[in-house]
Formats: sequence, structure tokens, C-alpha cells
Amino acid sequence: MTNVPLETLRDSFEGIMPSVIATTDPAGMPNISYLSHVQYVDSSHVVLSNQFFSKTAANVKASGRATLVVIDGRTGLQHVLDLTFERSMREGEIFERISAHLDVMAGLQGKSDMLKLKAVDIYKVESCRCVEPVAPLQTAPQAPAVSRNLLGEAAATTRLFSEMTDAETLLDRSLELLEQKFGVLHSMILLTNETGSKLSTVASRGYPHFGFGAEVAFGDGIVGIAAQRRLTIRIADMRRGQRYVSAVAEAGRPPQEEIAMPVIDQPQSQIALPLIANGRLAGVLFAESTESFAFSHDDEAAFEILAAQIAAGLAIFELADASSDYSDQHPALDGSIHQGKGFRLRFFPHDGGVFIDNDYVIRGVPGRLLFHFVQAYLQTGRTEFSNREIRRDRSLNLPEFKDNLETRLILLRRRLEERGGPVRLERPERGQIRLRIEGMPRLVIE
Amino acid sequence: MLAKSFQRILRISYRPALQRLLSEKRAIGTESLDGGTMELEDSVASFLSSKVMIIAATRDQTLKAHIGRGCGAFFDNDAGDVVLLSSASQWPEFFACAVKGAPIAVTFVEPSSYKAIQVKGQINQVVPATSEQRERAARYIEQMLPLMAGLGVNRLQLSTVFADDALAAIRFWPADLFVQTPGPSAGEPMRRIG
Repeated sequence: MTNVPLETLRDSFEGIMPSVIATTDPAGMPNISYLSHVQYVDSSHVVLSNQFFSKTAANVKASGRATLVVIDGRTGLQHVLDLTFERSMREGEIFERISAHLDVMAGLQGKSDMLKLKAVDIYKVESCRCVEPVAPLQTAPQAPAVSRNLLGEAAATTRLFSEMTDAETLLDRSLELLEQKFGVLHSMILLTNETGSKLSTVASRGYPHFGFGAEVAFGDGIVGIAAQRRLTIRIADMRRGQRYVSAVAEAGRPPQEEIAMPVIDQPQSQIALPLIANGRLAGVLFAESTESFAFSHDDEAAFEILAAQIAAGLAIFELADASSDYSDQHPALDGSIHQGKGFRLRFFPHDGGVFIDNDYVIRGVPGRLLFHFVQAYLQTGRTEFSNREIRRDRSLNLPEFKDNLETRLILLRRRLEERGGPVRLERPERGQIRLRIEGMPRLVIE
Repeated sequence: MLAKSFQRILRISYRPALQRLLSEKRAIGTESLDGGTMELEDSVASFLSSKVMIIAATRDQTLKAHIGRGCGAFFDNDAGDVVLLSSASQWPEFFACAVKGAPIAVTFVEPSSYKAIQVKGQINQVVPATSEQRERAARYIEQMLPLMAGLGVNRLQLSTVFADDALAAIRFWPADLFVQTPGPSAGEPMRRIG
């Protein structure tokens, strides 16, 4: 029988304070150790990571029982759980979630060589009792009587999403609404590149710089792991990682010629949510806070609703753009071609990388697009282009339309804007692109 | 006599396991241990009484384990006992099973490094703490709080972890010692007294 409902202990299963597990061997000798991960499964089950404690595993195998003490990282309250072993799992969603979380934490602690998770064990909770504090060193402040209506806020936010008519508004407004409705001060959206190996920042809010085009590799840090495993990852309290670094900064630590990831100084909690629509990963929504416990289980659920809406919105706008018949504009000529200081635009065909003089600009599809625009400009003087003609132009090596041309154009335009010239893009109207160049470009194909 | 026996066995049996730990840079000891200048038995004993987190387990007649937390510990050289200080009022289920002759397991963990050893034995005595032991427990709390704060764990989070109310001293003779530092050798016995 569970005396204290497990739902009221969700904060004790955040991995903030290590749990303690005790077992007894057949001869009656107890064994006790710390345990890295205990997670809530449902009202009568918890799952434990089974990594290092072989004696515990042997005792559980023999007796089927274990005793657990968990601590609520917000209040310091402890609970004792009497457990009965039910089964081990080496795959499945619960296993993958714990495995992903452990990998992120191992990365934060510089222990990526830690043993990989082998299995997780599901236990039935027979009893859950509070360890009544007899002389607490400090008492937790009273919890607010009324909790936030996150479901209502999520519904209100998705209603606003429904009114949006283009990808760029959706990208920016979603981060703005995260702040307005959920108090998230630092957030970004990263998009998957065409090879599915990296993510590029396309929208950010609450950072010293936007960092458009800054990249994270799949599998690196919380963002890269969330993308790779297509799982939401939430770190409630990064202090346990002991290193006050941004997981994103860590993951995206760029070589000198690349773009610095937007970061905050001392993140204490982070969450990364995959953006998935039509079964495809479009990118990752990431949020972080300088406060511990900034994102609760309920926040996670609300953000997952928003992430699904953002992903679906991006997919819909892309489809709409691809099937639209916005007419091709008559190519406009620009008389400014010889004005201003000249510059060298270097293009690397193997990865679409573009450098202006010696500075890295962007790579991948946005890089190929930029090269195409500048090359066409040099050859014909054209400054106006359309999404439609780009989609038709096979020389660009563009993946199919579903590969987010519109969002890649947004990314390219923003990157060029943040960079501050001499090349810029404008969007005079839907489906149209206007090139602005100051100075005479010299194309170099590397 | 017990003390001599403990020290002798420490000297003879602990050294290979501990040296292996040292060579793997996962030593269980304190700075002085890392420096390699202290005697082995002193190193183990000093680890128990250093700034370590302490968790302990007893079990009842049905072999169900009960958990308690320590508020300081030390090795009594004269008696050859490990002495665990713990709050009897905070951990009533644990103390209900902490009786003379009952088995006990205690794990000591250095919080900054996760270096850990588990000591198991049979309880010799459970008595209310002496005033000296209460002072030791108070000092332990005073030292642990800033240490944990430095690791990002605040006083509120530890508010019921360090408890010295109705402090009792549990004495037991250390029969087994295990490495518990996370890793492949966790649970490896450092020695066994037959």
C-alpha cells in the first residue's frame, strides 16, 4: 500500500539529491549505496537505473525487495519507499529517457566515459512514508496555494499559434510567448540541417547575441542528445553537475571560425524538446534558466504541447510555400554593384560553406543558397529571386521541398543581418528574396 | 586486542586493494592518503571520520532493510570499533533494528569525488551519545554544510539529512570493507575476515 501518493513526490525523483537504496542478502547482511537515478513511472511504480551496484542487484535478485530513501530537492523532505522488484528493461521509452538524461549529466560532469546504462529496473512501491523531520536545520517556505494553470496557458498559446501565417512569425512569437506565458527568459530554436547531423540556431531570445547559424552536433550536450534520441530532456538542477557551464556552450564549443552559441553565464536548469512533425525531426526547442527547478514536470508537459505545435506549424508553412504559385518576379538589376569596398566570397562546394574574406558565414543549404544568389548577381546583375525558382533549380543540390527551404532562408537572412554586411537578404514579400550587396564581390570556389 | 587485530589485518589485507585504487587515481582517502605518507590503517580510519556523507542500513526479522543516516563517525582505536553517530528520533525504523548482535552496513562517501567505502559488521552496542560525541556531531554538521554548499547543495536540501536529535552511538566491529566508488570495481571486497 502506498501511504503518501507518489504524485506528490515528483520533485524527489529529479535526481537533484542522490537517493539511497538498501537491500539484504540471504544471510541477513544489509547493503547500502547511493543511487543515481530514480524516476516516477506511475502512481505505484518507480524505475531505478541499474548501473554499478552489483551487490544490490544480487540481493534484489534473491529477495525481490529493496528499501529506498528519496529527498525532495526543493523542501529537503525525505521519504522511505518499500519496493518490490517487477522487471528489468533494456529498451523502450523509459530506458531511453533515463539513458539520455544520464548521458547529458555525464557530459556535464566531464565523465562521458562513464559506463553506459545497461538496464533499468521497474519496482512496485508497496509503501511510501515521510521521514518526519524531528529537528530540521531549515524549514521550506510554504508552497503557493494556487498553482499555475499550465494547461490553460498552453491552450491559450496554441490558439495564438493558430493565427500565425508564416514561419518567421511562428519562430519569434513562440519564444516571445514562452516568456510571456511561462516566464522563460532564455530560449532558442535550432533547426536540423539537411544531413541530419547538426542543428543551427534560427531563433533566440534573452541572450547577449542572437547567434544565428551557431551549430550543435547531434549527440552533443542536452540539445544534441534531445535531437539524436528524439526525446525531451530536462535538467532540473545543474548544480549537481558541479560545473557551471552551459550545456549548449559545451556542446557547441566552436572552432574559431565558427559562430558562438548564445549562452547565459550560470544556467541552473535546462530543457530541450525535439520538434517533430510528420515523423520528421525539424529541430529542437531549448530553454534555460539561472534558477534551479525552473522547469517542472508540468512545464515539460506544457512545452511538449507547444513544441508539437511549432513543429506542425513549420511543416505546414513549408508545404504551403512549396505548393504556392507566387509568380516569379522579373529579375531586377541593381546598379550598386560597383559601389563600396570589394570583398572575397569563398565557397566550399563539399559542405556548402561560405566565408566572406576570412570570416565564416554559414554552411549547408543556406551556404549554397548564398553562393547561388551572389553568383547569379555577378553573372546577370539580378537581385530578385523567388522560392519557386530556387526549388526548381537542380544545380543547387537542394533536397526535396520538405527540407525546410523557407526556414533555411530565414536562417540565412538572419545570419547575414547579424553579421552586418556586406551581403544581406530582404524578403520584400512572401516567396520573394532580394539580395543587397555593398561592394564588389569576388567569388572564389575552393 | 580487537584494535591490534583490525590494524594488523588492515596492514596485511587492505594494501593491495587500496594501492590499486591509488594507482587508478580513485583513492578512498584524504589528501594525506593521496600523498601516501600515512599508514594505511590510519588512512581508512581517517576517511571514516573525515568530511564524508554517511548512510547506513539495518534489517528486521523479515530481512527488510531499514535506512538511516549518520551524523559523524570515527574509528575507536582502543576498542577496534567503528562508531556511527545517528539520530534515533529521525530514523526510528533503522534504530528499531539496531540492536546488539544485529548486522549493519555503513557507506561513507566523499561528496566531491564520490569516493566511497562500505563497512559491514555486527553491532556491539547502541547507547545514547556522550557529550563529546554530541560535540563531534555538531562539528560534523558545521563542517559538512559549507562543504556541501560549495558543491551546490544548500542547507534546506540537507535540512533533514544531518540530524543530531536524540543522538546515539552505534558501535560495530568492521568485518568487511568494500570499495563503492562508482565504476566497474564498485562492490569489490577489500578484505574479508573469516
